[in-house]
Amino acid sequence: MDIQKDLVAASATPIVLSILRHGDSYGYAIIREVREVSGERIEWTDGMLYPVLHRLEAAGFVRSTWKTAVNGRRRKYYRITRQGEAELARLRRQWDVVHSALQRLAEPGDMGADDV
Amino acid sequence: MFDLESQIRKWRGHINSTGSLGAQDVEELESHLRDSIDELTGRGVSAEEAFLISIRRMGDAEALHDEYAKVSTESVWRQLLVPADDEQARRRHRIEIAVVLVLALFGGLLGKIPALFGHPVVEESALLYARNAALFALPPVAVYLIWKRALSVRFIAATALTFAAFAMAVNLYPSYSPYHTEALSVIHIPIALLLLMMALYAGPGWRRPSLRLDFVRFAGEVFIYSVLLALGGMVLIGVAGAMFTLVDIDITPLIVNWIAVFGGCGVAVVAAYLVEKKKGAIETIAPVLARIFTPLFALLLLGLIVTMALTGKGPSADRDLLIMFDIVLALVLGLVLYTMSARDIEKAPDWWDGVVLSLVVLALIADAVALSGIVGRLATYGLSPNKAAALGENMALMGNLVLLAAGYFRLVSGRVRYETVVDWQMGYLPVHAVWAAFVALAFPPLFGFV
Repeated sequence: MDIQKDLVAASATPIVLSILRHGDSYGYAIIREVREVSGERIEWTDGMLYPVLHRLEAAGFVRSTWKTAVNGRRRKYYRITRQGEAELARLRRQWDVVHSALQRLAEPGDMGADDV
Repeated sequence: MFDLESQIRKWRGHINSTGSLGAQDVEELESHLRDSIDELTGRGVSAEEAFLISIRRMGDAEALHDEYAKVSTESVWRQLLVPADDEQARRRHRIEIAVVLVLALFGGLLGKIPALFGHPVVEESALLYARNAALFALPPVAVYLIWKRALSVRFIAATALTFAAFAMAVNLYPSYSPYHTEALSVIHIPIALLLLMMALYAGPGWRRPSLRLDFVRFAGEVFIYSVLLALGGMVLIGVAGAMFTLVDIDITPLIVNWIAVFGGCGVAVVAAYLVEKKKGAIETIAPVLARIFTPLFALLLLGLIVTMALTGKGPSADRDLLIMFDIVLALVLGLVLYTMSARDIEKAPDWWDGVVLSLVVLALIADAVALSGIVGRLATYGLSPNKAAALGENMALMGNLVLLAAGYFRLVSGRVRYETVVDWQMGYLPVHAVWAAFVALAFPPLFGFV
């Protein structure tokens, strides 16, 4: 499924922050996880993840450190900051609003039905 | 036969050549590429195919560069003046800009204090203004950092005490012709105050070497920004003056006594704000400048040493020679600090560290030759305040360069990590500030205020 470019761009930040909230990770693993949890339906161009990560770091939402893996390969790990968690909560609320609005509009018969 | 390593090398070269990705960015992408290839080959795909798939997934180099460029333009311009996205950040931003403007005005008002004591005209009391220049321009920066870092009362008290002590010393000490100790104070106060600024910049953890290195970078960038802003201001003032001459009105007194004072005293805090805000626009210039001037300085020093050796002419024991060498050593130290702040701390030593080492060693040789000629003369003619200050600086700088030479030598020969060299250098920094404070505060009474 092709997801529209703007939507991919807008969802990248909350998705990356959500993944990092489960634990520190590096670029390749993040991409793999995105692919996995979306059932291969969200496909990012691998290279584009890094500018996103760097932007998040510049904004203070994540911090990075170089670590050496067992096989000797150096990887840059990212960790979410407290500021990043606050940002994630904020973005989640926004998505929830959009999501629930779409949900309701999708079922015209039920409009107002669960309006308590 | 498909050679994976050479293909990756070519790919890296391609990524490098198309633009401005940093070494770390490229390394991060390469590590990603290798992970991707490993996973694919693990699933039974041939190396060649795995490489091609991974490259394709990575995306094309041009588009990558555009994206990376966006990161930097965004962090520069978006954070600078275009309002941020959400309401809270926008409010914080507006408050910060207001604070900076108020502080810039505060600097200007400090600069007008001499007018209250009967010195309204800058040109007539130039030395008075020069002596206090750092005490006008730096308090706003100090207040800005205290505000920005929300520093404790202890920092505020220490800042107030330091500024007060310097202000009293410079303005209440008597001064007699030929005013040598007074001139020395003018030169040394800013250096001494840098230590205070370092403490304020780094906050409670100011003893940590990494934070000190950040401060070195910060100070260098503030300096570059200040120079740029001042140049712009001078053009503006020049044009304004020229335009008013056309209508036969001389606005020079207004310019010198008001605009230049307010502009000059406010420029540092505005520059500090810009550096704090953007982090990264000048970072790309610093390494370039360091790379251009480090070899040039090394060549210059080499030329000097060779000339002295060939002609057999030692340096004449000119009074100014000592000061000249202090300036050269200070420039060399500045270059090394600049390189340090721009270097990736985790990178393994390479040929560039060898270039830096040779610059430091050449500076030490040139200085040793010069000093040997001077010390004897000093003993004959006795110490004047200028010579004592210059000699003290020379020792402090030489000590520093010996330390750097030892550090870089061990680094290049692989015995220590770069971090250790940085630790040593950052630990040594306060020596310069303490000596500068000593010259500014203790020399006038020691030499009878002449």
